[in-house]
Amino acid sequence: MAREAKQPDTKLSHTAALILQALDAGFVYGFSIMEMTGLPSGTVYPAMRRLERDDLIRSQWEKQSIADAEQRPPRKYYRLTAAGKSTLEASRKRYPLLVRLIPTEEAKQV
Amino acid sequence: MSAFFRWAHRLFDLGLLRSASLLVPAGQRTEWLREWRGELWHVQQACSADGGHSWQAERQVMAFCAGAFPDALCFWRAGRPQRPAGAAMDGSARQCLLILGALAAAGYGLALLLPGVCAERSLWQRKVNPNLVLIEHAGSDSSQHPTIAPGQFRSWERRKQQYFDGFAFYRVERQPVEPEFQPASANPEANTWRVAHASPNLFTLLGLPVRLTDPDPVDLEADASGDVPQVILSETAWKREFGADARIAGATIRLGARQVKIAGVAPDGSLALPGGVDVWVLDPEAVRAPGVGYVVAHLTALGKEEMWTTCVHITANAPNDGEDDLLAIALDARKPGPETLFLFAGFLALLALPAITTVSLGEASVNPHRTSWLKRLHRWSFLSAKIALLVPTIYFVSLDLAYGCTLIAPEQAAYLQLLSTFSGCLFGLRWVLKDQRQRCPVCMRTVTHPAQVGVASRTFLDWNGTEMMCMGGHTLLHVPSLPTSWFSAQRWLYLDTSWNFLFAGSTPPAP
Repeated sequence: MAREAKQPDTKLSHTAALILQALDAGFVYGFSIMEMTGLPSGTVYPAMRRLERDDLIRSQWEKQSIADAEQRPPRKYYRLTAAGKSTLEASRKRYPLLVRLIPTEEAKQV
Repeated sequence: MSAFFRWAHRLFDLGLLRSASLLVPAGQRTEWLREWRGELWHVQQACSADGGHSWQAERQVMAFCAGAFPDALCFWRAGRPQRPAGAAMDGSARQCLLILGALAAAGYGLALLLPGVCAERSLWQRKVNPNLVLIEHAGSDSSQHPTIAPGQFRSWERRKQQYFDGFAFYRVERQPVEPEFQPASANPEANTWRVAHASPNLFTLLGLPVRLTDPDPVDLEADASGDVPQVILSETAWKREFGADARIAGATIRLGARQVKIAGVAPDGSLALPGGVDVWVLDPEAVRAPGVGYVVAHLTALGKEEMWTTCVHITANAPNDGEDDLLAIALDARKPGPETLFLFAGFLALLALPAITTVSLGEASVNPHRTSWLKRLHRWSFLSAKIALLVPTIYFVSLDLAYGCTLIAPEQAAYLQLLSTFSGCLFGLRWVLKDQRQRCPVCMRTVTHPAQVGVASRTFLDWNGTEMMCMGGHTLLHVPSLPTSWFSAQRWLYLDTSWNFLFAGSTPPAP
């Protein structure tokens, strides 16, 4: 089914903007986003479904071999799409505290 | 013991995920469960990283698993069949008009199906002849008593008349009747009917519709001299003796010493013919038998001009070359038709409407916002369409109620129609106005989500009452609960575009 990508000027809720910012900062799976944002699982996962539905993020399963090597189940990773990055830029202007809450440098330090 | 609890908790956590997964559509369930189980493993690892088993950690894991339910609900909602058209229709003007149209169509359909309404409709469509008079002797104290001798009638009939172009005669007598078709009453007194022996041209002269006629149509006047005489039942007798059985046409009954065939039913109330007749026998010998009877005459154009009131004195030549002083009484006692009753009841309802509701449409606005003429035209068109659909709905429903049951007497049916029309018009128009007052002037959707603002006893508030909002984000409606000098009627507050974020996703386009 063809999906219409959200325009860059789409207004996001604060939660959705926070999740986009966390993804951009390098927290690429659900539990890490929960830990970073402090949001409960019942908020984070449904929000990520909506963001994915709107083509702002995209998910991809980790390779089974990597998970097997680390003796853990495989994870589903999320990343921003081009539309998601544009929307995040617009959201940063709307929510200036977003960058302070989740600085992208922090991800680099991890 | 700790290992057992850890195992039990993990089993419980998995059970939660499994339970939540039931909400996810089957095609996506496996992947959804795989993701959540993978995440659960990491959550469990993170929570038990501090070492050992703790209730705090297990509670965190359980809280994480509980979050699977809102996520599964998202999938469930997304998997449900979408109803965008229905959602867009909720409270819309189109929905309102569709419902009203469906009601009108249902009322009309029912009127077509109900045999009682069909019979009445055929009766209304066939007009009784106008310009009919009942002729009687002027000395009679009541028109209910017969006064004209058959010889007198024959002499009038033979002579060329200036004021009348047709005469019919009937006389009434009590006769025993045995309904062979369906004996209805065991009481022997009840089987004595008032039988009218009429000249064969009576129904032709009257133009009175005879319904439920024999499947093989017969010419009543021509067939009156046949082997088996034709009789016409009065509507009262038809209902009383035969339970308004529509299959009665063609049946035979024993009337006195002879057998007669029922040709149909003459409706009551169409003409106020005196005599309280149960059954009409069209008999050429009726004008030769002894006794007195009633004479019905049809006026010529000249006679109509002379008939300037409902009762006039006339003088006629008597059979003995004398003169008879007679009265001609107009037989214009036809009951008003359903349209007349409807218009009358509707007019009464219009008069009574201001007593039960305000007739204002509540167009006042708080801010100096002025809607465009196109939107005002749209609003007035919608109001007109509602009334235009309401009127036939009430008309047909009142007909169904009044005439649907054939056992209701015509007079009672007329009262029932009057009452149902009056009630329908009164409360229907009240609803139309109330509905109109609660429609957003911009998108014509009904305002919803009523919220109480203020308390009536606290007069220091600017106003108190109910606030409702247009789900399109166009307006707020403020209805005062206690009208005051500064806030007496409802007001519209038009919202500018800065409010749009509150209605994201629910904003229907303004027409």
